Amino acid sequence: MIGRGTAKGRRAAALVGLLGAPTLFLGIFFLGPLAIMFTYSWLEPGLYGGVVWNFYHLNYGRIFGWANTRYEQFDPAYLQIFARSVWLALCTVGLSLAICYPAAFWISRQPERRKNFFIFLITLPFFVSLIVRLFAWVLLLRPTGFINQALMALGIIDQPLEMIFTGFAVVVGMVYIFIPFMFLPLYASVEKLDMAMVEASFDLGAGRWQTFRRVILPMTLPGIVGGSIIVFIPSLGNFIVPSLLGGAKVLMIGNLIEQQFLSARNWPFGAALSMVVMATILVSLLLYVRQMTREERVTATPLNRQEA
Amino acid sequence: MKMEATSPMAAAQARDAAENGPARPVLEIRHAMKRFATPEGQEVVALDDVSISVAPNEFLTLLGPSGCGKTTLLRVVSGFEDLDAGDIFIDRQDIAGRPAYRRPVNTVFQTYALFPHLSVARNVAYSLEIAKVEQAETRRRVSEMLELVGLAGFGERRINQLSGGQQQRVALARALVARPKILLLDEPLSALDKSLRGKMQQELKALQHELGISFVFVTHDQEEALTMSDRVAVLGQGKLQQIGPPHELYRTPSNVFVARFVGESNLFAATVSEVGPAHCHFRLADGQEVRLPRRDGQTFSAGDKVQLLARPEDARPSPPDNGTGLRFSGPVREVFFVGTHYKLVIGTSEADEPLKASLPAGEDLGAGPAPGQMIELWFPASRLHPLAGEVGS
Repeated sequence: MIGRGTAKGRRAAALVGLLGAPTLFLGIFFLGPLAIMFTYSWLEPGLYGGVVWNFYHLNYGRIFGWANTRYEQFDPAYLQIFARSVWLALCTVGLSLAICYPAAFWISRQPERRKNFFIFLITLPFFVSLIVRLFAWVLLLRPTGFINQALMALGIIDQPLEMIFTGFAVVVGMVYIFIPFMFLPLYASVEKLDMAMVEASFDLGAGRWQTFRRVILPMTLPGIVGGSIIVFIPSLGNFIVPSLLGGAKVLMIGNLIEQQFLSARNWPFGAALSMVVMATILVSLLLYVRQMTREERVTATPLNRQEA
Repeated sequence: MKMEATSPMAAAQARDAAENGPARPVLEIRHAMKRFATPEGQEVVALDDVSISVAPNEFLTLLGPSGCGKTTLLRVVSGFEDLDAGDIFIDRQDIAGRPAYRRPVNTVFQTYALFPHLSVARNVAYSLEIAKVEQAETRRRVSEMLELVGLAGFGERRINQLSGGQQQRVALARALVARPKILLLDEPLSALDKSLRGKMQQELKALQHELGISFVFVTHDQEEALTMSDRVAVLGQGKLQQIGPPHELYRTPSNVFVARFVGESNLFAATVSEVGPAHCHFRLADGQEVRLPRRDGQTFSAGDKVQLLARPEDARPSPPDNGTGLRFSGPVREVFFVGTHYKLVIGTSEADEPLKASLPAGEDLGAGPAPGQMIELWFPASRLHPLAGEVGS
């Protein structure tokens, strides 16, 4: 009895020791600011920045449509920007998936030492400052940039293509930044795929397409979903890429939030926009997790390890 | 239930046999050649002019040490490797170059390779779903198959909820449900514990008998090969060393490699001293001489170096008054009691290697020979088998 008690005590001490620091850190620097943001989003904006401590729902009203006063008007532009952000984030996910999926297969079939080298190459861009890398894209994409000059020199086009400050440029920039985020979870599940499974599928009469659809795709799905989530979330709220490569024309929700805090000095409205982004992500994640656990529960039946 | 499932197949086979003669091989491999390049740039010959044919309803085992080419041969038949030279026929159709998914063979993989994202039933149904077999028919055949392998009612389980033996059965059911012409089994029992393996050996054999499908079974376990097979093909260094029924391999191996690989063996170096019309005389280094009847195909001439094979269980504790044979004596080095027998290791001056003998643990042996004790052994001439070549070859 006493022994069990002390063991329990020791376990509790270990728990505090191991999880205390991260809990404290997240509590202070994540939950704290989040609570402030949530509170601010329901407060009245001050005339010269800051907040006035009155309950105020028109921050959300401006986004969703019930604000109709002299000072606060509903503007569909906010929802449009939000929709565009979702669309660009989805494009980023799709494109980086299309690039990483075949690459993951190819690299996973290489000899061990070359594998590690290629994974190193994939993560290499991390070592250079994000801003420097994005300015490189500005130099590439602008009307007098490398791509346009090369195409014009080759006589393929005679007018510079409008590439920079378009949705295309933003997607290219985000794909470029987030490829390692997509690649690593994808690679983890692709590498685990046992080639014997693929052979078994062939052996049972399935051709290449059927084998892909029925075996390879479902077995690498966790990696696809994981990579997609990890790329989608920072893409949706991104503001560096659209501000450098999208300019004033391609505004994303991140830029809008940034503007509210830094230029418009409307903190409550910026906080409300942030809450909408976060709620969207949380709700979709929740739905996904729920779906996954339901599938698990359907197929799970009591274990029976007896020989029949 | 089981009889119903198999009788049409048996009938079809009987008809087949009547029309085309009984010995029409279902699988024929002719002069198969296959080389691999190792990462170090060397070349390994995996298959060196191997020709094997498998009769309908035959249980053929490919036996050999690891790296002998047996798995390569299986993968060539299933379509995962191409031959460098040679032909493969299934039902007299050349299938070289045909992709794996268009060959009428199915494989039970060493690791089972069951699909973890599908239920047991969907694993078994996989080939039928691919072939777009009607749903009701698929369901019927899947439950029939699960019943056949003793997993009725396990259809909705997930693969990771099954034990190793159960997974083995699912793999078997999945491979058999499409009714292949030949079932290929790649060391399927190697992951099971010993008692379960013995049980599965018997079940596999019974299943093969019942279904009338030819089984090609790969193993490195010679005991397993002898127990289960109609015929065994011994492969070594990419070459077919011998093919024949288990007792033939055991009693009359065609060379030293087979003699050593199949069962335990004593090999005595000898010289052919005299070749008669019906008999050959062999002389051992210690001067003993035996006369053995000539067998078909034996082409010894006087002066040839040979090995005389005697199995441990051929040893007799004392020679009878009349009868020829070989006599050895020496100190007992080790004694193993295995229930029915005493296994002895005996040091002799004549043989390079210690002698192995297995004596029935009858009353006359009592508590058995003690280590260090001098013992005399006798191998009757009728149990000796001459093999051409040196021990090292």
